[in-house]
Amino acid sequence: MDYRNAFAISAAGMDLERQRVDVATLNLANANTVQAPNGRGYQPMRVEERSLGVLPGQFADMLRAHGAGTNAAGATVTIEPLDGAPRQAYDPGHPYADEHGFVRYAPVDTASEMMTMMSAIRSYEANVAALNTSRQMAVKALEIGG
Amino acid sequence: MAIEPIQAIAAEPSLAPLAATQGAGTSGPVGGFGQLVSQGLERVNTQLLGTQTDLQQLALGQAGSVHQVMIRMEEARLSFELMMQVRNRVLEAYQDVMRMQL
Repeated sequence: MDYRNAFAISAAGMDLERQRVDVATLNLANANTVQAPNGRGYQPMRVEERSLGVLPGQFADMLRAHGAGTNAAGATVTIEPLDGAPRQAYDPGHPYADEHGFVRYAPVDTASEMMTMMSAIRSYEANVAALNTSRQMAVKALEIGG
Repeated sequence: MAIEPIQAIAAEPSLAPLAATQGAGTSGPVGGFGQLVSQGLERVNTQLLGTQTDLQQLALGQAGSVHQVMIRMEEARLSFELMMQVRNRVLEAYQDVMRMQL
């Protein structure tokens, strides 16, 4: 079925944007977590999607054989930790303060996480619009001769 | 909210002779038209029942994502619409034949 392919591609895009929002939410929820002086604390994460660089001729093959980490839109999606120096705050009374009196917080950039969420919701909307378009085309095709 | 499953019409006696003549005369499909219709109905019914399961899981909070449920519902709806259109065409043709003056 032709419209199912379009639906699968849109669904893959929606899954990806959903995952971006989930990861951004996780980062924001852990923004104020403290790292122990010697241990590792929360590491912010980021969703990485890589296109496989599909040529137009391979499009049908890609749709048929998605799996093995590749979604219907032809991209591999991984969640990778983001490196960054921890945010330090002077608080000598804190139980996790180091010998200089600094407490280390997770290096979460709140503004960029908010930007990620905003762009994710816009992309999600775009995917919904694309799906609605293919649905409308299918419905219109059913009106042929009717 | 129980959706009554659509019964298959595999054992429709009036369609059997057509299938038999078609299979004997030409190299057409073995099952013939009746089987084709019942297979299509079966598939649409399976999709509708799958949608019902999805909705139950969504209500129980076990669904993976809302958009997957919505997309499967749309697919089921489109399949049902397609089935209805095919039915309309077939019924129209049948009635035209029945009204034919000999």
